[in-house]
Amino acid sequence: MGAARMMRMPSYGSRLISGLAFGVMAVFFVVPLIFMIVVSFYQPDPMGFYKVDFVWENYAKFFSSFYYTVSLRSLYSSALGAVLVVAFAFPLVLFVSDLSRSHQQFWIISLLSLMCLSEVIIGFAWLILMSQSAGIPGFLEWIGLWDNPRSLSPSFGAMMIGLVFLGFSIVALILYPSVSRRDRSIEEAAVTLGTPPRLVFFKILLPTFRASLVPVTLTMFVYMLGVFVMPTMLGRPKDWTMTVIISDKALGDANLPLGAALAVVMLIVTVLVLIASAVLTRRRTP
Amino acid sequence: MRTLYFWIVGTLLIAPFVVVLGVSVGASSNIAFPPESLSIIWYRELLTEPEWLAAIGRSLLIAVVAGLIATVLALAINYVLWRTKTGFAKATFALGLGPFLLPPIILALGASLFWAQVGWYGRMEATIISHGVFFVTLPLVIIARGFAALTDEVVEAAQMMGATPAQVFRTVVFPLVAPYVFTGFALVAIISVNEYLIANMISGFVVETLPIKIFNNVRYGYSPVVAAASIFFVALTVTILLILSRITDLVALFGTSKDT
Repeated sequence: MGAARMMRMPSYGSRLISGLAFGVMAVFFVVPLIFMIVVSFYQPDPMGFYKVDFVWENYAKFFSSFYYTVSLRSLYSSALGAVLVVAFAFPLVLFVSDLSRSHQQFWIISLLSLMCLSEVIIGFAWLILMSQSAGIPGFLEWIGLWDNPRSLSPSFGAMMIGLVFLGFSIVALILYPSVSRRDRSIEEAAVTLGTPPRLVFFKILLPTFRASLVPVTLTMFVYMLGVFVMPTMLGRPKDWTMTVIISDKALGDANLPLGAALAVVMLIVTVLVLIASAVLTRRRTP
Repeated sequence: MRTLYFWIVGTLLIAPFVVVLGVSVGASSNIAFPPESLSIIWYRELLTEPEWLAAIGRSLLIAVVAGLIATVLALAINYVLWRTKTGFAKATFALGLGPFLLPPIILALGASLFWAQVGWYGRMEATIISHGVFFVTLPLVIIARGFAALTDEVVEAAQMMGATPAQVFRTVVFPLVAPYVFTGFALVAIISVNEYLIANMISGFVVETLPIKIFNNVRYGYSPVVAAASIFFVALTVTILLILSRITDLVALFGTSKDT
């Protein structure tokens, strides 16, 4: 019996480890999600958490005008944010991938730091940057461009800046591997033949990377649906997204069944987007 | 054009933190930039005020234990997958990718309902376990790279010499994947320390972590201590990542460059 064959035989020990790991993931990741779906059919109880029941009432509330509008608005701001962030990050990744190795490392570590940083801190930093006393408005007044400055947040624009900033490092790090490993011969040939750089970008690079750009845009869309801090810190109440409303229902109003129902709707949207993303990726790669 | 873009993006990425740093070292208790006179009183307040210290301590404890849970879980899943390659092991791996794909609010609400039902609402263990399980994806993917780099020859050599699976793991496999394990652990710890939404939904009123405290402070009128706390965070995050970049090749980990 060869050593290699012996290795492939599931032993008692590895079965035990495997079972334990699966069990932990199932109990603490899958069971809570299933329980959330169950709670979404319960009756809300103003005195406590919920009453065990089976009603469609919570889902019916979703289609009442308010939540419907909120979700359409969330879809709009997430879609806009996803497109913007990819549009800004893709050129940067292209440029970074042509730098020397040590410069690349500098950018990677910087982007990694930004990716790990708390939403709370990034939100707070932008809050200050857009405040009248310490931020851009004050600076514009000081250089004489704005006579009568006022705070730039809360506003829809401030929230979008926060969202784009938050997603930027993630998109850059996701795109980096495929961009840095690309075959440069076609671009080089085009440049040698005298193609202007802008044309190289739109005619060669954009089509080449469509297979990575589309899934990353969809990933960002899902990510931005779930951002909580930026809308609450930088947006006006009317800019609030579904995530804020869910958290508000669950913690503020203690209406857990309604919060759960809204989260289930979001879960369904997420799964649909992920499936779409998988289908698109599979079709592109032979 | 290219250089200009670098400068614009670089400035925009750094500007918020420069302003926060400026506010944190200003002597005035109003948020002002540029600061009129420099002082470290806000840092002193951050590191002497019991409430801030407690939040820092809680956050660090949660991060370290959650990091351990996530890395042990990721190592176990990868080890079994590498050793057996069964469908069950693959399914467990796929399950581990799940939390990363879902918006955190869904995980947070699910966990919040789950822990309330179990009766652990307000216990730090609940936050720790949920962080550990939800952040398993990153170490899972990173450690998988370590196992992929493992060649069969070293393992076969050890088995030829009569080593048991446990001995092979301890003396051959673990030392070779250790850098990946450590990187995974550090990243989970950093993400956990910075995480707001899940910690807040699970038991934010009781277990107040540093991000929760900062958020509450920003919402209900803030002082420059928040700026000091933010800079403390940024410094912590960047330091750990710099140490990591000395231990492992982060560029290679996030994709190979053209000459490798």
